[in-house]
Amino acid sequence: MLKYTIKRLLGTIPMLILISIVVFSLAKLMPGDSLSGEIDPLNTNPEYIEEMREKLGYNEPLPVQYFNWITGFVQGDFGKSTKYKTDVFDIIMEKVPNTLLLGVISLIITYILAFSMGMYSGRRPYTIGDNAIAGINYIMLAIPSFVAAVVAIYFFSFHLNWFPFGGSVDILIEKGSFEYYLSKLHHVLLPALVLGAMGTASYTQFLRNDIIENSRKDFVRTARAKGTPIRKIYNVHILRNSIIPLVTFLGFDFAALIGGAIITESIFTYPGIGMLFLDSVTSRDYPTLMALTMLLSFLTLAGNLIADLLYGVVDPRIRLD
Amino acid sequence: MASSTTLTQQKKPERSLSPWQIARKKFLKNKLAMISSVFIIIVTLLSIAAPFLAQYLSPLPDIAKVNIGSMNIPPNSEHILGTDKSGRDVLTRLFYGGRISLLVGFSATLMVIVLGTIVGSIAGFFGGLVDNILMRFTDLVLTFPFLVFVIVLNTILYGIVDGLWVLIIVIGILSWGGVARLVRSKVLAEKENEYIMAALSIGCSPFKVIVKHLLPNVASTIIVQATLIFASMIVVESALSYLGFGVPQATPSWGIMLSSANEPDVLQGKPWIWMPPALILTLTILSINFIGEGLKDALNPKSLR
Repeated sequence: MLKYTIKRLLGTIPMLILISIVVFSLAKLMPGDSLSGEIDPLNTNPEYIEEMREKLGYNEPLPVQYFNWITGFVQGDFGKSTKYKTDVFDIIMEKVPNTLLLGVISLIITYILAFSMGMYSGRRPYTIGDNAIAGINYIMLAIPSFVAAVVAIYFFSFHLNWFPFGGSVDILIEKGSFEYYLSKLHHVLLPALVLGAMGTASYTQFLRNDIIENSRKDFVRTARAKGTPIRKIYNVHILRNSIIPLVTFLGFDFAALIGGAIITESIFTYPGIGMLFLDSVTSRDYPTLMALTMLLSFLTLAGNLIADLLYGVVDPRIRLD
Repeated sequence: MASSTTLTQQKKPERSLSPWQIARKKFLKNKLAMISSVFIIIVTLLSIAAPFLAQYLSPLPDIAKVNIGSMNIPPNSEHILGTDKSGRDVLTRLFYGGRISLLVGFSATLMVIVLGTIVGSIAGFFGGLVDNILMRFTDLVLTFPFLVFVIVLNTILYGIVDGLWVLIIVIGILSWGGVARLVRSKVLAEKENEYIMAALSIGCSPFKVIVKHLLPNVASTIIVQATLIFASMIVVESALSYLGFGVPQATPSWGIMLSSANEPDVLQGKPWIWMPPALILTLTILSINFIGEGLKDALNPKSLR
């Protein structure tokens, strides 16, 4: 296992380098100075631009520029935002907690929904309840997330007035107080619900099928013969075995959440990484855009890596080498 | 007389059904898939016929023109689904929107399938170094966060190529990885069969073996995958258009129509503007998915139905 982990970790290094080269080339294709953001785009004096270009090393050959950029990036120097005039690193760090909160809450919602539905379906397969759950899941899978978000805002925010329809916290509340955190939770709940409900289908169906399969195994028959209550067999014996494969989904969720966050955050005007990303595109804040692209690619890669590694940890039957 | 007819009937032995005929029979029996197919056909026909239908649907058939006199009219007998904030008829735009959404979805799917099949079949058939290089490249494409790169590439290419095609090409370039992996795994299993060896031994070129012998046997998998990709491509197009990074703003696609719900005023008070595209989009996706599931069942020789 250790050997495989090291091998897999080393395998991601060329991937990271390749991705960084792609991002670098894309940044170079973008108009203007899109990596450091030091050149003021409003100052069109050719002498100023030439001076800055020389100072920033833009007249160096491309490989040297790439090397300078990547060494800076690894050390946390993401350049300067042309819109906010401060370090991109600080801007991103300011938004990370919001996205993290959204991601965690939506994952919890996914798990709660999927477990209750999956366990119900798995225990009573081919009944009306099971079919209804399968139907609901199918429809949730088909509805595009942004349509679901718009409809959710329409019903829950405007008609029922249960949730606020934008932002991450009430502006008037003092920072750090108990109400502040409560308001934060209140704001994150609706986007998290939309994001979380979208991911339940695969979990639920996987859990259902796994429970059905496990319920036919020998250990279940033994438990029954010994007189264990059916409820205990399902909730303890079978569930323990069925949860394990689900762990591997976590890594892929990571990647899916990134895409989901971009859409949901922008619809709910929730100030997180996704919205910052879209904002940087519309305001042509290229340094922020490129730093985020690099960061999100890195996170996706990490998610895939975690999924792969968990796969081996969870199921020792899979031969890794 | 009677005995002679039975004799002639016996002389003509009934041919057993070909795999495709069996699949067709199974598909026709699947009610959900059939209803979905009819729905999709109707939506497609209405979209194609939009320019001819427009003059009969409403008094304002021009979808590009802003009509100041008739802004935000709720549904009535003249405008069945009302008009939007620029005074354009919603129903007419809905049909025109179908053209764009289906066109983008279809072209992107075609591109994804063609690219994925080429890469996957070459990698699977030749194996070895070719396989290794192509698959590592596929891995790389698969690691890119899709939405992020679509938006970045779109920003770069915007203005160089015509708006609609930028989107199709960008989506196509970024999403063929899954198909390539799938086709490769199928080809790997299929090429071990004797008929491939036979074809090679009588001197068929690799190209001919792939196109004539391998691909027809992988086709059913590709068809099912294409259906499911078609649905997801329509979602991608509308989601990007909704966010403002898809087709140009002036083009009436379902995503663009939905993006008017960004204004709280429209979202809250004028549901007739955004609800029709939301509904038809969801129904279309649902139908395509049902067709895909139906095809999967029909083309699977092991399924009982």
